[in-house]
Amino acid sequence: MQRFRKGPAAIALALLLMLTILAGCGGSGSKAKPAKKFELQAGEKVKVTFWHAMGGKNGEAVQSLVDQFNKSQDKVQVEASYQGSYDEALQKLKASGPNGPTLIQVYEIGSRFMIDSGLITPMQGFIDADTFNTKSFEQNILSYYTFDGQLYSMPFNTSTPIMYYNKTAFKEAGLDPEKPPKTFEEFADYAKKLTKKNGNDTRYGASIAWYGWFFEQLLAVQGVHYVDNDNGRKAKATKAIIDSKEGQKITDWLKGMVDAGSAANLGRKTSETQAAFQAGRIAMTFDSTAVVSTMLSGVNGKFEVGTAFLPRPADAKGGVIIGGASLWITNLKPEKEQWAAWEFVKWLGSPEIQGKWHTLTGYFPIRAEAYDQEIVKEYHKTRPQYKTAIEQLRASKINPATQGAVIGVFPQARQVVEAAMENVVLGKATSADALKAAAAEITTSIENYNKTTK
Amino acid sequence: MPEVTANPATRPRTSAPVRPAKRAPDWVEPLLYLTPSLLILTVFVFYPLVRTLYLSTFLTNPLGVPKLFVGVEHFVNALTSDQFLHSLWVSTQFVLYTVPVGILLALSLALLSIKPLRGIKIFQLIFSSPLCISVATGASIFLMMYNPLSGVLNYFLSLVGVPKVSWLTDPKVALWAVGFVSIWMRLGFNYVLMLSGLQNVPQELYEAAVVDGANSWHKTRHITLPMLSPTIFFAAVVGVIHAFQIFGEIHIMTGGGPSDATNVVVFQVYQMAFQNWEFGAASAQALILFAVILVLTYFQFKVGERQVHYQ
Amino acid sequence: MSQATAAGQSTPIGRHMGTIVTYVGLVVTAFLMLFPLIWAIIVSLMKPGEVNQFPPPLWPTDPQWQNYAEVARSVPVFRYLFNSVAVSAIVTGGQIVTASLAGYAFSFFKFRAKGILFALFMSTMMVPWEVTMIPNFLTIRSLRLTSTYPGLVLPFLATAFGTFLLRQFFLTIPRDLEDAARIDGCGRFRFLVSIVLPLARPGLITLGAYTFLSTWNQYLWPLLVTDTKEMRTVQIGIRFLMNEEGQQFHLIMAAVVIFMIPAALLLLWGQKYLVRGLMAGAVKG
Repeated sequence: MQRFRKGPAAIALALLLMLTILAGCGGSGSKAKPAKKFELQAGEKVKVTFWHAMGGKNGEAVQSLVDQFNKSQDKVQVEASYQGSYDEALQKLKASGPNGPTLIQVYEIGSRFMIDSGLITPMQGFIDADTFNTKSFEQNILSYYTFDGQLYSMPFNTSTPIMYYNKTAFKEAGLDPEKPPKTFEEFADYAKKLTKKNGNDTRYGASIAWYGWFFEQLLAVQGVHYVDNDNGRKAKATKAIIDSKEGQKITDWLKGMVDAGSAANLGRKTSETQAAFQAGRIAMTFDSTAVVSTMLSGVNGKFEVGTAFLPRPADAKGGVIIGGASLWITNLKPEKEQWAAWEFVKWLGSPEIQGKWHTLTGYFPIRAEAYDQEIVKEYHKTRPQYKTAIEQLRASKINPATQGAVIGVFPQARQVVEAAMENVVLGKATSADALKAAAAEITTSIENYNKTTK
Repeated sequence: MPEVTANPATRPRTSAPVRPAKRAPDWVEPLLYLTPSLLILTVFVFYPLVRTLYLSTFLTNPLGVPKLFVGVEHFVNALTSDQFLHSLWVSTQFVLYTVPVGILLALSLALLSIKPLRGIKIFQLIFSSPLCISVATGASIFLMMYNPLSGVLNYFLSLVGVPKVSWLTDPKVALWAVGFVSIWMRLGFNYVLMLSGLQNVPQELYEAAVVDGANSWHKTRHITLPMLSPTIFFAAVVGVIHAFQIFGEIHIMTGGGPSDATNVVVFQVYQMAFQNWEFGAASAQALILFAVILVLTYFQFKVGERQVHYQ
Repeated sequence: MSQATAAGQSTPIGRHMGTIVTYVGLVVTAFLMLFPLIWAIIVSLMKPGEVNQFPPPLWPTDPQWQNYAEVARSVPVFRYLFNSVAVSAIVTGGQIVTASLAGYAFSFFKFRAKGILFALFMSTMMVPWEVTMIPNFLTIRSLRLTSTYPGLVLPFLATAFGTFLLRQFFLTIPRDLEDAARIDGCGRFRFLVSIVLPLARPGLITLGAYTFLSTWNQYLWPLLVTDTKEMRTVQIGIRFLMNEEGQQFHLIMAAVVIFMIPAALLLLWGQKYLVRGLMAGAVKG
């Protein structure tokens, strides 16, 4: 029994130990930092395995950037590999143990887990050793990924959700296409007006996916926190507080529209609401700014696409949280490969590449200079949809609510919230009960997490 | 095939000859034959069983490493957890729904296509065609057809004036919708089983019955079904095992939802283990499932054996 | 649905009616069964987004054959097929070998531990996959075999079910054959290989077909153990395709059809063997 118990775990630990010895002093845990810059030689083509969660058009964009980088120099060779959704990519990382990649893209809510995981080398180390200047980076984006004064990961694709609406449908329904709804009440009202039956078919006014991210954003937009201890930013979170009356307002609002027949229940995936919106089957929806390009090309001129800030309860005073993901350099590979990953990370953060990435997808640039790029200026002139998220973020004041919650079990929490949203909309529980149960479940997870990660 | 030739030149070997003392014990040779299987089964069945038992008594950290001993806490939690008990119920419903319906449909198809009519072979081929459908292919086709807004099934319904059904997003419907996909995919296999079972029923029995004045109903009830009972039993046992293991369809079509309506036990354990990374709790739940299956199989054999008619 | 129209209608008209009813039933049922496949083929020929229209076009007026080229270009469909074939073949071959050896031991040898060992084997059939998957996953990971053929294949190379099945077949081989062979100087192993196995061919084919099919259909294990695109099997490939392409069903269905073709061909070829083989040994009391 002794032998069985220690077997594979011991091998994994031994491997990690070996790797850290081989890697010299580079990264055997989150606290170790590279002491000085490792100079790469020309022609070396050091391999960097890069795991990402960008599918569809955005996946093609990533690949084109990777190809461009590889072609532009010969010190580093990046091999990008799509690992599924953000959830799946993170699970893959957890599952791969010592076999993980050099560089991985992890969603924003995975940050606390990554820091506690012992699998990464904080970005600050590379920044300091390379004397890299981050002044021109958008500070509120950087602040999301900064803890105790250290930047742990490099933001890459930043987004917030926005409202997409069908301007042509607005005109047909007698609504002003330049005046999208601003409050929950207006939105529900517009949805009713936009719902149209023609024969066997119904065109719904709206449909919003039961996506935990939207719930988080709508909490922040009302200025409330997700967990205690200043959203987990002042100290480690110990309990979830999503069952506030603001939380209930969100689920009640969603349920109200479904019950009124003006919003369709298309489940949890935004890919469903996207497809329905592009086919003109629903007139309004929420989705990330990251799919602006996808939406525009999917609609393909069939109707005019409008974008707007997320609606909020009439008296709410808050802002949005940045979403998206960042790049983490793991400590699973030798120092040389980690520095090779750093080269790629630096390149991705350059104004030119950030500008290009922005126009290819809809994610907004992490550097102010990117806005001076010609292509960005031109896009903003002809496609104002690309600007909405940026304006929405700029209009949000920075405070713990808009900085976003920090929880080690955030991915699980999101699933629990989505289940609660579903339960409320399907009439299986009231908002109060569903959210209370969800909060209790999340709190238990947080407690277990804290117990096992000293 | 070697012939039996009493060749005096060859010393005949008997099974219990007088041998020199250095003979190896009689379990060595069979053990050699058993070794490959034993090795694999030990590493991948017995050892994991023990390890799962071990894990089930621990709280694991986010990377799955056991950290805190908690004894039977996970078991208690699971047995009092609504979600886990619900998943057991979902699995049971799924099995009770898909296995009998699947076998009945397959049997009907077999009875329909056993006659030596012209072109019957084509139909036999068509009815076995779901064999070419695999888990992911079938699930993706149906995911598309079940789309509430633009799926072709709702379109056909609308043509006859029936309102749209939320196949996969209505918790009252989701399990049946997913179950139907499972039945359809399994139909090829079940059909082939039933068909070959039917083909093995001796014609003389039918002829004798006709002489005795039996009509088709009598023939079905007193000859076909009893003769087919070993086949049906086999299909049922294998079907139940299979139905308890389904995962792919759920993963692709519903992800356990809506509202846990399709959260079968396998999916529940998978979520616990590989989404929440709570290996301890997941291990406990898997072990409870193990106990349930043991009990179920015992009853299945007890009850089934009595009903099955052997030659 | 059960149209047990047995040959027994007395009048000629009755008989004709019976036949017509049967044919109608056959055609309707066949159409219903095939519909999902037919629909998949139709969708695979649609334009992007066309399948989301309402009402959906029921026939591709403008068949986009290039969807197949496009999906083959952007997704390594043939690699996925190859992986599935390779993994299924290795597991099938492996199981036939280990099950033959073990089944032989249990049927032709006498040794004291036989009862216990056989019970041990059979008990593994009771252990559901969920109980062993976490440690198996950890084992494969610590052996650094994730995303490799061995990792995909190792846990399945032995089978209690197959051992049981083949043992049943082997038991039907008359003892005299064994005695005769022994007298002729044929060793245990040669007996297995040159006499027993050929005689048990239906059993081997049954086991082979069943194992190949089950392995082809594996979903959870490849999902856990595969990290790279190159190693995905067909099932996981489709799953990822759905992730990557979201609602681009015209492409997904094209991939689905491509994956179905080898299976369909195999079915055409092997249908009669399957029918014969499944029953011959599987039901022996």
